[in-house]
Amino acid sequence: MAQTGLTRIGLTLGPLFFHWPADRLRNFYNRIADEAPVERVHVGEVVCGKRMPFSDPAWPEIIERLERGGKEVVLSTLAAPATVRERRAIGELCADGCLVEINDITALPARSGRPFVAGPFLNVYNEATAHFLMRHGAATICPPVELSLQTVGTIAAACPETEFEVFAFGRLPLALSGRCYHARLHGLHKDSCQFTCEQDPDGLAVDTLDDQPFLAINGVQTLSAQVHAVLADPADLVALGIRRLRLSPHGCDMVEVARTYRTLIEGRQDAEGARFLLSCLDLPGTLVDGYARGEAGSRAALPA
Amino acid sequence: MVTGNEGGSLPVFAQRLLPPFAGLPLGPLLTQSLRSLARRRPGLFERLGEHGTARYLIDPTDLPFAFCVVPDGTASRVRVTGKGGAEPCDVVIRGPILMLLGILDGTLDGDALFFHRTISVSGRTEAVVALRNAIEDAELRPSDLLGLRGTLARFADAGILGGLSAVRHLAAGAPAREDGRA
Amino acid sequence: MSGSLELVCPAGTPATLRAAVQAGADAVYCGFRDETNARNFPGLNFSPREMAEGIRFAHGQGARVLVAINTFARAGDTDPWRRAADTAAECGADAVIAADIAVLDHMACQHPRTRLHLSVQAAAATPEAIGFYAKAFGVRRVVLPRVLSVQEIAALNRAIDVETEAFVFGGLCVMIEGRCSLSSYAAGRSPNLNGVCSPPEMVGYDEDAGGTAARLAGFTIDRYEPGEPVGYPTLCKGRFKAGDKAGYLFEDPVSLNAGSMIVALKAAGVTALKIEGRQRGKGYVTEVVRAFRRAVDAVERGHDPAEIDGMLAALSEGGRQTAGAYRKIWR
Repeated sequence: MAQTGLTRIGLTLGPLFFHWPADRLRNFYNRIADEAPVERVHVGEVVCGKRMPFSDPAWPEIIERLERGGKEVVLSTLAAPATVRERRAIGELCADGCLVEINDITALPARSGRPFVAGPFLNVYNEATAHFLMRHGAATICPPVELSLQTVGTIAAACPETEFEVFAFGRLPLALSGRCYHARLHGLHKDSCQFTCEQDPDGLAVDTLDDQPFLAINGVQTLSAQVHAVLADPADLVALGIRRLRLSPHGCDMVEVARTYRTLIEGRQDAEGARFLLSCLDLPGTLVDGYARGEAGSRAALPA
Repeated sequence: MVTGNEGGSLPVFAQRLLPPFAGLPLGPLLTQSLRSLARRRPGLFERLGEHGTARYLIDPTDLPFAFCVVPDGTASRVRVTGKGGAEPCDVVIRGPILMLLGILDGTLDGDALFFHRTISVSGRTEAVVALRNAIEDAELRPSDLLGLRGTLARFADAGILGGLSAVRHLAAGAPAREDGRA
Repeated sequence: MSGSLELVCPAGTPATLRAAVQAGADAVYCGFRDETNARNFPGLNFSPREMAEGIRFAHGQGARVLVAINTFARAGDTDPWRRAADTAAECGADAVIAADIAVLDHMACQHPRTRLHLSVQAAAATPEAIGFYAKAFGVRRVVLPRVLSVQEIAALNRAIDVETEAFVFGGLCVMIEGRCSLSSYAAGRSPNLNGVCSPPEMVGYDEDAGGTAARLAGFTIDRYEPGEPVGYPTLCKGRFKAGDKAGYLFEDPVSLNAGSMIVALKAAGVTALKIEGRQRGKGYVTEVVRAFRRAVDAVERGHDPAEIDGMLAALSEGGRQTAGAYRKIWR
């Protein structure tokens, strides 16, 4: 496997947004540990605190397995904590020796002064905010998904001491709500939701009344229906100061996704070839990359 | 889009009160008024920003003609046109004249009218929004548009606004606005 | 302050500011005519001169002006946001409402004497997050995300020592504000990037055999039968298909009216009540502010919630209303 050097791009497997049963989690991460050419893997629940009792027991074994596979493990934390239990969980994770990803300012007081990853749910829109978070310990910053590569480059140029990571593959995390849309769709309340989100391992597609694929719901989260894929020339990414690409787990063959990105960043495959390979996989939507180009996120990927 | 008689078209007797304009003197007159308004209150037109050069077709459904307005400050133009719709424009605003005037003097909420389809709007939505917001802040009175001052202005405002309000209530069969249910 | 509820009202234009003050607003919030505020619609908002005049007018009538600089500063070009903050402070704004750490940091360093309120766009909903903003920037008040129940607000107020401001009337964002990119996904511009949601220049109403389709950047947000009143295609308020269902997937086209909750919100320790609607006309603002003035005064005199609710019932505009997340069942 390639080493992450100063001018090499690293691959990160981001946190899983969906509610998968514990068995599926174990199988998925075992295969990632053994086969996926990624340096860093995020674990933990980000979207809904109610799912934590199901996945929590599975994580210690998964973390151990990933570390044995040579992966750097990052503990991701909730993006919209509300209950006392959720806030306490964040506090406990922030106390851990592992690298932690912060997805809400709630976690900052508990983690300030020790290294953390600033996740895409934190509003890092400019270099002043990035500097502020760096002073508190941000070692990697993955800015909000709606920022273009150019904009990330502008922030990165002002913050050479920090690693910048871009959300590079997957349905885009577009919104969070206090309300659970899976529960609402099934006529249930969030407090007694029956975990219907488990039925949709990539989220549930939302089409317009004219049958245009548009969004996807995942409990309290809304994602894009389409699959965002940043497939840029690695030299361009390096020039922009982007050091890592984040791949967001979905039901398709994520090992194959990681391999495709690996061939791209190692220059063994051009962007068009990589896009073709991705499009052959069982993706939940068509490929888009508008955000990366500073356009509407739903704009279809252009030939490189 | 056709608007029915509900919601404030001119009653027939009121329509008869309007002279059957050929429209000839009206365009230059309104152009003159708009430019003079721009000289007196430039801030009003600044609010329109880039939309000041947009062409707005104002089409009162109960009048035999329409207006093409370019609200470009002291270079504003108003032309009276036919109903044919051949006129190239960025925005078309169509509705009963009393409702259009009600928006102008601020007694009616443009949002509410728009969404209840008493007034139909098509074309560049952002230009419509800019115009609505500019008018909203302008607190225009009939005398402003007619370029009148002093006693004459007070007389005109009292007469026109009072008349409008009376006719509007007659036409809409609605209670007066003051009780909070416009 | 004496502990009586403060009524915070919207103003999209100087005329509306004057109308809101005259209708009984304790404070008015407004923004500059650029992308530094989250209601950056064409023709709306204040020039620096209008802001200074508006603040003078409000102060003359004993009302306060809170200036919203609540979008996120653009990378490599944060000056417009700093300038807006400087201008607000120089104009004598009673507070600046901000969400971006860059703006908060600038205010705390350059204008420590101007009160800072944390915008709803910062989505701070826990004691830890609010405490952090208070400690780092001296934030004195937090505008609460519209996803909290009254019980949660009460618990929150017991755990923090800054004031809280709660939305009670107007449009209802169903997503956590400041963390929603739906608009930029569909149309390229978003609240955080540009201060607009579902931007008007991308809106189109197309007539076809089935009636009218309201579209945003080509995506059908809703459809209407011929003659049926049309709505603005705000993304999260549209009708969509999911699974085997079609309908208002995210939120029904309702607006917030928490009039019935004023007594409970006061008991929960809320300092200020906020009315949404900087894009609304002065007729609307006057009517709503007047009604809420009466209601708040009645609450202070000890009238019961049912009476208060009755005073605000006429504000429905024929549309449907909800008490939103304040009642837990909303979720």
